[in-house]
Amino acid sequence: MNRPVIAFAGLTACSGCQLTLLNCEEELPQLAEMFDFAYFPMGRSENDDCCSLEVSFVEGAVSTPGDLEILLNLRSRSRLLVGIGTCALWGGIAAMKNHQPRLELTEAVYGNFANAVKTFPPGPLSRFVTVDFAVPGCPPETNQVMQVLASLLHGTLPVFPGYPVCTECRNRENLCLLIEKNELCLGPLIQSGCNARCPAVSVACEGCRGPATEANVAAEIDLLVEKGFSREEINSRLRRFYPEWDNGQRY
Amino acid sequence: MAETFLTYNALGSFLVRLMQIGTLHGPTLNDLGVLSFNPVTSPDLLQLNYQRTLLPPKKYLLPPQSPILHYAPTEGYTPAKTPGDEILLFGLHPCDLAGIAYLDRVFLDDRPDPLYASRRERLVLVGISCESDEYCFCGDVGVCPTAAAVPFDLFLSRQDSGFRIRTGSRRGEEIISWAADIVGTAGAETRPAEAAETARRICHAVGKRRMFEGSTLWDDFAGRCLSCGACSLCCPTCYCVDVREYGAIDGQTGERVQEWDNCLFKAHGEIAGGINFRKTRQERFHYRFLHKYYGFGPLRDVISCVGCGRCRAVCPVGIDLLELFGEEPA
Ligand code: SF4
Ligand code: SF4
Ligand code: SF4
Ligand code: SF4
Repeated sequence: MNRPVIAFAGLTACSGCQLTLLNCEEELPQLAEMFDFAYFPMGRSENDDCCSLEVSFVEGAVSTPGDLEILLNLRSRSRLLVGIGTCALWGGIAAMKNHQPRLELTEAVYGNFANAVKTFPPGPLSRFVTVDFAVPGCPPETNQVMQVLASLLHGTLPVFPGYPVCTECRNRENLCLLIEKNELCLGPLIQSGCNARCPAVSVACEGCRGPATEANVAAEIDLLVEKGFSREEINSRLRRFYPEWDNGQRY
Repeated sequence: MAETFLTYNALGSFLVRLMQIGTLHGPTLNDLGVLSFNPVTSPDLLQLNYQRTLLPPKKYLLPPQSPILHYAPTEGYTPAKTPGDEILLFGLHPCDLAGIAYLDRVFLDDRPDPLYASRRERLVLVGISCESDEYCFCGDVGVCPTAAAVPFDLFLSRQDSGFRIRTGSRRGEEIISWAADIVGTAGAETRPAEAAETARRICHAVGKRRMFEGSTLWDDFAGRCLSCGACSLCCPTCYCVDVREYGAIDGQTGERVQEWDNCLFKAHGEIAGGINFRKTRQERFHYRFLHKYYGFGPLRDVISCVGCGRCRAVCPVGIDLLELFGEEPA
């Protein structure tokens, strides 16, 4: 049987998305049987840097010349490139301060050595290469990662729902933190797929999965302002995982 | 069968008897304090003076997400397993019973759905009368007084000192005969049923085929709606589902699942090639309005809003289609 040759790689990120794969402990033996993990620096010591690949899974934002080199290399030898995790798709946590000058930020961390650090504002993979499929989340849900892998074996890619977290939240009959508790919940704007993991334990949605389809950003901001939140607070919460909200977007 | 009477004092024993007959489900507070239909482990947990559960009882007939077919190369497609034992669903308000009546027409009348039929068969419906609040307007039995009779096995109408029990099926009669030592004979009715003003207004406007096309409310709704899905998920008669198929990691087998959809989602009217029948939220609201009040296909001209008030209560931005009817000249 055809055993797809794949890569799992990380750019500027916390490696949590790659860890998501390693956390699929029950499925790992079967995954190793079904796929040839030719390039997976986090999971093996010998990696093939030049074979052609069926699919590359790439975690992390592009923030250094080294990142870009890895990304271009993987793109040029893969049939499909799949971005996994919020950093790869939107910049994520690392891009939270992209509105401030890069040198200022580097100096805050590296002091006098800031000039020697080769870095640019973290950006999503799609700013540099074509991304064929996206698995959102910080980190992504194991079941969605598994669905992508399984679908590849069936010669296709899965369809993930585009509706927001609220839909899954209501389906579980959680208490609505936005309506009942007047909390700053971003659920109405955020892509579902996590089965409302946070509201299910009474924690407002922080927006780690990035925007839902046709997110009505302006209406959510109006609602939050009406509930008494300041625009600064709303903006800083919005920017935590996705820096490029269009606050006027209403659809 | 003659109507029987259950005093408030005997309610506890009656519930215990029901729990001996089968698995009892009813309105209780879940772990997060949300009123919802759940399995009942002790009669004390039942919230019988409740207003409305978050999800309607349709979750027993059409779960939020459920497998419908399994695929394997040797067997091809096989139907998903049908559910198990009987469930006694206790404490259903008339609007929710009317919701089930509507779903029955959708899924059993025209090309019956075997999965729905098997889920429906195992439900014993025990209704209870209710007090309306600022959100609901069913007028006791579904929006229009002409609405089809609501289905129930037993129905408990609240009176001054207890409930009058009506039986609506053979199963209901069986249950009452098993509880013959607990119930008594019914006297005269002390609280007559009421009809609601809102329901009359809707029926009147629908009778005149009002579409409110010139209303500014459409733009207002579209500008505020978050497409959160709640209004359809929580509606006892919304039955739209999306169907997806997921292959398994063995590379051979797969599962086809259906899950609740909402016509305010972009994907609801989307077809291959990214073409969309309803590109804007305005168009989606018109569609929702048309379906709720005017019906489509075999159920054309059947109002599918049963007046439970959920969509108005759960919308985070307070959108209420009924405001349109407020524009109806008297
Ligand atoms: S708690 Fe948050 S995610 Fe859940 S329904 Fe309310 S707004 Fe949506
Ligand atoms: S079309 Fe809209 S209103 Fe009608 S059943 Fe579907 S979701 Fe509900
Ligand atoms: S449209 Fe609203 S009020 Fe009418 S049955 Fe559905 S949820 Fe209840
Ligand atoms: S509940 Fe309100 S905000 Fe949510 S989809 Fe329905 S109309 Fe839109």
